[in-house]
Amino acid sequence: MTGHKAIEDRSNRRWAIGFTAVAVFLFVLYHWIVPNGPSWLHDFVQGWFSNANTNEMIVYIIMALGLNVVVGYAGLLDLGFVAFWAIGGYVAGWLMSSFLGNFKINIFGNPAPGLEMGIHVTFWWVLLAAGGFCAIWGIIIGAPTLRLKSDYLALVTLGFGEIIPQVFINGQDINGFNLSNGNQGITPIDPIRFFGFRNLGPFDLDYKFVIYAVICAGMVMVSLRLRQGRLGRAWLAIREDELAASMMGVPLMRTKLAAYAVGAFSGGLGGVVFATHINGIFAERFNFSISILILAMVVLGGMGNVWGVMVGAIVLSWINGIGLQQFGNTVNGAFNTNIDFPSFNFLIFGSLLILMMMFRREGFIPEARVRLVMHEHEDDNEEVH
Amino acid sequence: MNKTLKGAALAATAGLLLAACGGSSGGGGKSLTISSDLPLQGTNKDQNTEANNAMQLYLDQIGNKVTAKDGTVYSLNFKAYDDSTAAKGSWDDAQCAKNAQDHVANAAEIAVMGTFNSGCAKIIVPILNQDPNGPMLMVSNANTNPGLTKAWDPGEPQKYYPTGKRNYGRVIATDDFQGAGGAQFAAQDLKVKKCYVLDDNSTYGMGVAKAFADAAPGQGITVAGMEAYDPKQPNYSALFNKIKGIGGVDCIYVGATYDMNGGQIVKDKVGVLGDNQQVKLIVPDGFVGYSEFDNLPEAQGAYMTFSGLAADSLIKRGGKPASFNDAFQKKYGHSLQNSYSIYAVAALQVILAGIEASDGTRAGLTSAVLGGSGVTVPADISMLGKEIHLDPATGDTTAHDMTILTVSNNKEVTLKPWTVQ
Repeated sequence: MTGHKAIEDRSNRRWAIGFTAVAVFLFVLYHWIVPNGPSWLHDFVQGWFSNANTNEMIVYIIMALGLNVVVGYAGLLDLGFVAFWAIGGYVAGWLMSSFLGNFKINIFGNPAPGLEMGIHVTFWWVLLAAGGFCAIWGIIIGAPTLRLKSDYLALVTLGFGEIIPQVFINGQDINGFNLSNGNQGITPIDPIRFFGFRNLGPFDLDYKFVIYAVICAGMVMVSLRLRQGRLGRAWLAIREDELAASMMGVPLMRTKLAAYAVGAFSGGLGGVVFATHINGIFAERFNFSISILILAMVVLGGMGNVWGVMVGAIVLSWINGIGLQQFGNTVNGAFNTNIDFPSFNFLIFGSLLILMMMFRREGFIPEARVRLVMHEHEDDNEEVH
Repeated sequence: MNKTLKGAALAATAGLLLAACGGSSGGGGKSLTISSDLPLQGTNKDQNTEANNAMQLYLDQIGNKVTAKDGTVYSLNFKAYDDSTAAKGSWDDAQCAKNAQDHVANAAEIAVMGTFNSGCAKIIVPILNQDPNGPMLMVSNANTNPGLTKAWDPGEPQKYYPTGKRNYGRVIATDDFQGAGGAQFAAQDLKVKKCYVLDDNSTYGMGVAKAFADAAPGQGITVAGMEAYDPKQPNYSALFNKIKGIGGVDCIYVGATYDMNGGQIVKDKVGVLGDNQQVKLIVPDGFVGYSEFDNLPEAQGAYMTFSGLAADSLIKRGGKPASFNDAFQKKYGHSLQNSYSIYAVAALQVILAGIEASDGTRAGLTSAVLGGSGVTVPADISMLGKEIHLDPATGDTTAHDMTILTVSNNKEVTLKPWTVQ
């Protein structure tokens, strides 16, 4: 067991070094190499790996890591994770804009000139507030689902994922109170103050990348530490066999609620990051297909494995955001065709899911335990033969 | 076999990489790129693809070049951006933000034609406004939300222009004109007295419905009620039964886009309140151009307003729109089917007129169009068959044209143009 843990630690260390190296490389690329490099490099990076797309990818990674705690660690199927993204985003909208114009509160905030009305709290505090607020909501929706399993649990979370965005879509007049500005959304969001020395404008994507990567790294660390600790082991026990876990003394209620709370906290962080990324929050974004996209990232990447989930999030968000479109442009340009590649997006996602379920159910980079479980019977068969 | 496969894969990858690296047009001083920013996936795909084709055709017709007043000849490229994603099936806020960054980062790009959705414009305009080499000009063919250019919601429109300079214009009238025009038409031509106003809770739907409801009392129409419907409901019988219970309602105004379950709304309206002769149905241009709507038996006799001049009436008038339509038909095998395509070319004409009057820089173009007395597209070359001029102070078009259409025999038929009073 100790040997296994040492191998796991070494592997995590290697991945962490790799993650840091990639993040540093990307910052250097966006900050120095691309602006000072030849125009072909600028066009290539802008077309295939733009800074804006990378920042969006990080949002998806944070989301997927949160969902991984619920689905991958604790084995609780959640089809409404987009709700936490929405709640986190709206917390940023309430606390980092002039939207709540009846107030004039500024707590280390950075309102743009002329937009001083409303509540303006510093980005870092808003992160914590959104995370905490979402964690409370995670517990609220987790509580009634404690006695539910599989399909029934999925249905309840699906309902939650549908209700919350509807509240924001219809929230422009709740007994005369404008909660969300309806479908018109809340814009603009206050700029982030970069470690106290500059306000990040719309073109400071490289500095935003640093902040987002730090938040993402924090979430990775939390995921890994939790997974190795007592709580993580309890989650895994519940995932493998809830009844057995209960018999062994794992407190089901507390453990499940903790999974919902941690996952929701991450969703809240992602929501705030996203709001600052697009400089606004719009209720129309939060539909069911986004929940499914995040779930697909977790499943394809490798449920329960932080690094696998990150890879899944990177691949799918890249395909959805920029990859397929750019690939199509390139192919059409090279071969003088007129194929609408983005329209094949769901065909590719669907085929990928089917192929993965047929040949690699455990995902791109599976967790060792999941891989063992998935191939349990194959091993038995081999032994028999 | 394996080696052959690997070799082929390597060659294909290398080819794609070369194509990816070599596709740029470069940032030469006399080569400018005009881009479009429209949703090319989901339900709006066809009409926006047509708009892109129309713009490319127009540029081809003028030889892909424009001559400025100082004699400089600029060669023109066209680049189409997609602000939708497959996952959403419609415009995507993150994609809009990314496109805005790309517009600014592409040194050859001088102006943007778009967006289709006002929500997307609310994300892109402030970013283009803060372009270090700008502000960068954007002219829309379809945004009708008033707040983008005039005082509407708190903080609008100033919050979209952080530098204090305007960089956004549009060639189409805003929702307040369309809603008001709809109310005038309802009172003066349809002689209705009591309307119930519905909206789909979207930025667009609420805006146009509010404008109708605000203008109706001034036209002698009583607004019996106003509410948003949930586009995800399977049916609206209860809603229309409630309206039936009010009594005396002789018109329903639906401020919505057809995508927002408009088909079901129309079916249930007819099912409960009767056909469109008994209780008039008026819808805004969010329903225009949808053949699914036109083919509904329950849609026959419905009245539609369009914030501008409808494609068929423009083409029938002859002149530039008609000759352009002929060329379009020759190249693409069908005539222009939606009015926004014509307005896309009109927006392009404004950009081209601006380039002619400018020094070929982003800032110069923006101040040419939205500074001083602005620019004017003369009637003889205008795609709208009449002079196009944007008010430099706001960016709004000075023409408040509207068209009234009706659905008859599964087709949208122009009834009459309508100038909003």
